[in-house]
Amino acid sequence: MSAALLQVREIGWRAGAVPVLRGVGLDVTAGEFVAIMGRNGAGKSTLLDIIAGIRKPSEGIITIRNRPLVTWPAAERARIVAHLPQSLRSDLTMRAEALVLMGRYAHQSQWFESTGDLEIAHAEMQRCDCFHYRDRTLGTLSGGERQRVFLAACLAQRPQVLLLDEPTTFLDIDQQLHCFTVLRDEVRRGTACLAVTHDLNLALTFCTRLVVLANHGVAFDLPAASALADPAWLRVFSGRLRVEAGTAGARVGYQ
Amino acid sequence: MTRTPKQLSAVWLAGSAAVFIAAAALLPFIGPSRLEWLQVWHRREPEWSILTQLRVSRTLLGLFAGGALALAGSVFQSMLRDALATPYTLGVSTGASLGAVLAIAGNLHTTLGVTGVWAGALAGAALVLLLVMGAARKDSLVSVSGLLLAGIAINSVCGALILLVHGLSGVSQSFAISRWLIGSLDAVEYSTLAVYVAVVSITGAAVIRQARQWNLLAVGEAWAATRGAHVTESLVAGYVAGSVLAATTVALTGPIGFVGLVVPHLVRSRVGGDDRIVMPCAFLLGGVLLASCDALGRVLLAPAEIPAGAITAFIGGPHLVWMVRKGSTR
Repeated sequence: MSAALLQVREIGWRAGAVPVLRGVGLDVTAGEFVAIMGRNGAGKSTLLDIIAGIRKPSEGIITIRNRPLVTWPAAERARIVAHLPQSLRSDLTMRAEALVLMGRYAHQSQWFESTGDLEIAHAEMQRCDCFHYRDRTLGTLSGGERQRVFLAACLAQRPQVLLLDEPTTFLDIDQQLHCFTVLRDEVRRGTACLAVTHDLNLALTFCTRLVVLANHGVAFDLPAASALADPAWLRVFSGRLRVEAGTAGARVGYQ
Repeated sequence: MTRTPKQLSAVWLAGSAAVFIAAAALLPFIGPSRLEWLQVWHRREPEWSILTQLRVSRTLLGLFAGGALALAGSVFQSMLRDALATPYTLGVSTGASLGAVLAIAGNLHTTLGVTGVWAGALAGAALVLLLVMGAARKDSLVSVSGLLLAGIAINSVCGALILLVHGLSGVSQSFAISRWLIGSLDAVEYSTLAVYVAVVSITGAAVIRQARQWNLLAVGEAWAATRGAHVTESLVAGYVAGSVLAATTVALTGPIGFVGLVVPHLVRSRVGGDDRIVMPCAFLLGGVLLASCDALGRVLLAPAEIPAGAITAFIGGPHLVWMVRKGSTR
């Protein structure tokens, strides 16, 4: 196998005495769009947090570009890995543009961001369709509008590994599709993207690989293209689902 | 709205610095005994001594104490993501007060050239600092919730001990303790003032230098960490620096409330949430507020003096209620 950008080896994590993850392994290469899926409490967010370096695993090791995650200096790591948390406080007093500029923190050490940083921030805000409210205070925005600002900040970080914890929460359907289209463009440029999502159809349509967590570990890890031919993964979610061929690839339907 | 942070910062810093300098120059002339310009110009007594020995040192103490409290408030508010955090939230000031109160109750005046109150306050603050830090550490990581819980717990213990010491002391000590607990500015010796100004300036500069990290932490710990900030190091540094600012101030003035709460709020509501601008402005304007409150207290009921701590509470309390009414408690 070619050198993976991100390697997850035998990762375990306990909440007190309760095991959440055990022996999780995953190799992700550049240009992969991985959907991390599973039932509530399967450990999706935990896994993402561990890869982001926010939580320390109880066992196992993460390497990025063949170097253990813990040995990366914070700023250097932030130039490679960006993380979009599941939720952030909603009453922030800064302007949307100022938040996006935070993505440039690890790239420059000046007191104020350069015009180059500002150009990158504006470009990413335009991509995420939030440029027109760049001067508004975050606290005055709706949940979905804020989510687009946070995504723009992650993109302005220009990462090689993009970790997204339910990026489409609060987004309307049009913005959900827009968000995943932006992410797919990003992946085509060579970024590795791992997104936690509950939306099976978004995952089937946009992602290249499906990772399903169950029973503390990886229950299924399959290319999105074979999701239709090999539908056993679907039973993890509900017995009432079936996968069928749709006009734009495989689709999940209800019974 | 189209101003860049750089321009906004230049405008606000220049304005705040001008007000600060004006306050330093003019406030010493306010007081119960009127000082004629001409008398001062010719260095005639007693005007010259009143001005240089009493009013100037008192004004400078007010400017730097107010600045230190406002800056400590801003850093705790950003760090703890809590609009109501003050220099007193994390227990260090109450620890300093307990030390000072013990020194007053024990009649410790001067030991080794250091006043007992000053030494007691710093010792109390240092003890609380170690206790809170020890309690908040877990797996070599320090979290906001850990700091906050440990701080509030130790705060209430120290508060109870202050009441106990107060109750057990004799009449004259008891009066001195109540008087000290209101918080007020008094003329201090220039040697003490010089040390204090140096400590506040160095600590303050170190805090303001980290403004980009405080901005990140104001969004969230995980957010700051994944943008490339050193979260645990920043939290420890912010807690220690905020505590040094608050404790050295409490040691000289007693616990003066509301400056650390009201000033950062006022500045934030005007300039937005960018700590690169908020922190230096809060320092300068906090100083102006406290020194002005003290000047007001000197003349309002002259020849009696109202302690600066009482005036800031009179202004701060209603201001807080007004902010809640406006719904801008952020």
